[in-house]
Amino acid sequence: MTAVLDPPADPVVERRRAVQAAAASSLGRRKVASTVALGICWLFLAIAIIPLVAVIAYVIAKGLPAWNRDFFTHSTVPEGYPGGGVWNAIVGTAVITAVATAVAVPVGLTCGLFLAESDGRAAATLRFTADVMTGIPSIIVGIFGYIAIVRNFGGYSGFAGAFAIGFIMLPVITRAGETAFRGVPRSLNEAALALGARRSTVARKVVVPTALPGVITGVLLAVARGLGETAPLLLTIFGNQYLQWNPAKSMEALPILIYNYSNQPYADLVQVAWGAALLLMTVVLVLSIGSRVLAAYLRKERR
Amino acid sequence: MTVVEASPSAPLGRGRRRALPDRWYRSLLGVMALLFGALAVWFLVAIIIQAKPAFSTLGFSWIFGKVWNPAHNQYGLLPFILGTIESTAIAVVLAVPIGLGTAISLAFLVPSRVRPFLSTTVELLAAVPSVVYGLWGLIVLAPWFRETVEPFLTSAFGWTGLFDGPNRGVGLLLAGVILAIMILPTMVAISRDVLIVVPNEQVEGAMALGATRWQVLRKVVVPGARTGILGAFTLATGRALGETVAVAMVIGNAPFIAHSLKSPAATLPSLIVNNFGESTGTELSALFGAGLVLLVIGVLVNSAARWLVWSTGADVTGTELGR
Amino acid sequence: MASVPSVARTGPRRMTEGSRPHPVTNTEDRTLMRTRNATFARSGRRTASLAAIGLAAAALLSACSSSSSSSTTTTTTAPGGTLAGNNAAYLAADLKAPGGSLNASGSTFVQPFFSAAFYKYTGLNQALQVNYQGVGSGAGITAFQSGTVAFAASDVPMAAADLAKMPANSGPVVQVPDILGGVAVAYNLPGVSTRIKLDGPTLAGIFDGTITTWNASQITALNPGVNLPSHAITPEVRADSSGTTYIFTDYLKSADPTTWTLGTSKTIAWPSSAVQTPKNSGVASSILSTPYSIGYVELSYAIQNKMSYAAVKNSAGTYVVPSPTTVAADADQKTGVSSTDFSIVNQAGTSSYPIAGYSWAILLQKQTSATTGAQVVKVLDWTTHSGGGQDLASGLHYVPLPPAVQNQNRTQLLTVTGPSGQALLTK
Repeated sequence: MTAVLDPPADPVVERRRAVQAAAASSLGRRKVASTVALGICWLFLAIAIIPLVAVIAYVIAKGLPAWNRDFFTHSTVPEGYPGGGVWNAIVGTAVITAVATAVAVPVGLTCGLFLAESDGRAAATLRFTADVMTGIPSIIVGIFGYIAIVRNFGGYSGFAGAFAIGFIMLPVITRAGETAFRGVPRSLNEAALALGARRSTVARKVVVPTALPGVITGVLLAVARGLGETAPLLLTIFGNQYLQWNPAKSMEALPILIYNYSNQPYADLVQVAWGAALLLMTVVLVLSIGSRVLAAYLRKERR
Repeated sequence: MTVVEASPSAPLGRGRRRALPDRWYRSLLGVMALLFGALAVWFLVAIIIQAKPAFSTLGFSWIFGKVWNPAHNQYGLLPFILGTIESTAIAVVLAVPIGLGTAISLAFLVPSRVRPFLSTTVELLAAVPSVVYGLWGLIVLAPWFRETVEPFLTSAFGWTGLFDGPNRGVGLLLAGVILAIMILPTMVAISRDVLIVVPNEQVEGAMALGATRWQVLRKVVVPGARTGILGAFTLATGRALGETVAVAMVIGNAPFIAHSLKSPAATLPSLIVNNFGESTGTELSALFGAGLVLLVIGVLVNSAARWLVWSTGADVTGTELGR
Repeated sequence: MASVPSVARTGPRRMTEGSRPHPVTNTEDRTLMRTRNATFARSGRRTASLAAIGLAAAALLSACSSSSSSSTTTTTTAPGGTLAGNNAAYLAADLKAPGGSLNASGSTFVQPFFSAAFYKYTGLNQALQVNYQGVGSGAGITAFQSGTVAFAASDVPMAAADLAKMPANSGPVVQVPDILGGVAVAYNLPGVSTRIKLDGPTLAGIFDGTITTWNASQITALNPGVNLPSHAITPEVRADSSGTTYIFTDYLKSADPTTWTLGTSKTIAWPSSAVQTPKNSGVASSILSTPYSIGYVELSYAIQNKMSYAAVKNSAGTYVVPSPTTVAADADQKTGVSSTDFSIVNQAGTSSYPIAGYSWAILLQKQTSATTGAQVVKVLDWTTHSGGGQDLASGLHYVPLPPAVQNQNRTQLLTVTGPSGQALLTK
């Protein structure tokens, strides 16, 4: 009977055994390293959440005491006078944002439609321009607003502010619109065209309604961004201690009120700044969260 | 039975509203696109025209001058360029590791039921207006920095020479920290999106080979998402470069090159926003020149970022991070 | 015999500065009267020094006034400080300015006063809103040059260089003082409860960065017995173009030209150790929140926010605590101010607070719109006269304009015309 000989040394098997041996011996160390590293990732997650919680907590804690009936119904008063509020800033912010949205949405969505429908060089240039415009620092938009509107039309006004805010909102709406419109299945488009509809009908009755969730989300987010912009307004609307509904005149706005009242020695003015910050933050957060909720809801509806 | 003749030039059916002829529709779209383009061109031309006098009177090297003293006709922008870069660098150094770690947590470690809630929470950091960050930074964070953080850092790391000078609270460090908080959501959201799209087969293959979770992440997932993470980093940098109000409120407004992290400093945006109202003539033109410099830097960084992110397929144009 | 209206009956004797052909009409209430009385009572020293101008004013009065007025050289009246006739008539007409809204911007030195005064004005004339934004004297002048505001306020009048930048056909510029105030040297020194004393050279050293700690020899020499800490000094200064900076540096230069070398200007090349903040309110806030800091703010901010401020050495060698009284004492030494000769720092007199100044309202003489022009002159006339805005000055720790200056203002404002040359200030 011949003895069972060991099989000849197979380099592949040898290699595999060596690797497995190395892996087995290092397993303990590797597990520890993994636990530590993942622990750091968890820690970083906590660190990332902390500032948001801290900011919101402080703003609520310091801003809520400022919220009373006068706060929402009276305009600003000089320091030391009682009964002041931020109603003029609320109106100013609302009017400026409304005007900016009213111009930016039609133009932006139409451009978005243009981009979604064409793929030529013009469209590529426009897309690139829109992308670049979203990255322009807002202070430069502010100085542009000053020389474009304030200088040429003889003074500060809500329209100048709306121009600057609209300039910031426009590329955001355009790109969000394009993304939403491109998301409409081609089959729907082609079916409508095959039925003999004109392109404008297709756009009006097929593309826009189908893309509406994405469009609304994009618009809401653009509005939320426009509400938070301060630098462009600082240079274009001048501020106003009185209630002003007319956008052709200088107006007050919540962001610049916060900016001006934040570095004050008078405690009552700082209190108003916190209250205004709470108001602005609440509106912007509601819009942001609301747009997501709406998008999720509408997406579910479609399914 | 009548056959309805559908022709391209007549509206179909009994629609009372006459649809726009296709040519008009295309023209309308084209006109709007032209308007958009014209606006962008007007913007660029206006800034250049306003900045031109400074360049023609002062040449080109004034941008890199070290001294900003309008009374003596000195408009050196170097302190502000450096301030912009330094505050952004601090923000990026803080936000990139924390952002990446958070993104990894959100993508892989967090239970799937909690994931959307936590993701939204982090992204909401982007929604808080920058002036609110400035207010919070000035009134809440600055005293804490002055009393606690800066003394601690000075005693622990003073030997590096980075923490010279008195503890003031406001300064480069505080501005960097506030910026880090502001760009964190951008970093997190985009990184998370690109981490998730790394092919499953690669992840599973690595795990089958016996890799620990961290090894999988370090050697497979993160390298696979490398381009997207780079894009997130660049986008976050671009956002930090352009931030005006929050920085202006906490950086101390000193038109000098900062020699330590605790020094007050100034950035190009804070220079413009503080001095615009009172400048005329050459000084005003110099501020437009500063705006032009900022524009060039910002556009370059943002374009690079978008290209990097776009090439991975992650689309951020629909979120508030899409700036 | 002087027929002095018996205003003295309602207030301190000092009240009767010359005959006051100024009947108590029903547009004035007791409060205004009492305030005005108290104000004039406080300015005891001022009356004595307004002799020359007062005589001229008296001559003017006796020529123009219709009610029985005598010359001011009576024993119960002081020479000089007499408010011109028909003040009430002008004030009443001021409150009937056409409706609308005005934009104005500039000095934060005067902002607490303007805020209160314009708020009161709009309360009385609800049709007209005066929207004043405090952005710093320099920015106010720039806005005025750009034509984006109806009038500007600056603690430093427009100089020839500024006037040269006005658009070509805008015409002459009228500049009138609108308030008198002081600049306090406020500081934040934990653990030191005694008021510290400082003089010009020491302040120069602090603000140009050569004196770096609180227990430096120059400071301890002036404050024997005060336990000054060894902490570093943080100078708090203005980041923006500021008239308050001008007044402060004007004092530093005037007190000792050899020690202060950074110049007298609205913008200064501060040392890198200084923390720069825009606006008076920003500097005040920064001082309050930064221990061991020291800076310069208008007196109203310092008092209203209960800041500690230093006693500053004046030209007579006395260390004077800033207050409306001591500011008035300083201003009394130089009553003939004009837009080309406006500095009143470091005047003689043992009770003069040396860092004081007027703030100036700036408007076009030839207004382009009759309505806006009428609004501007009437608001400014009301604001710069007793019985109008000036009555609010003391409550806010400013000093009301001396009557001579008020008279001068009205004369100047009467020269403002509409586009077709019509006079806009009426009574």
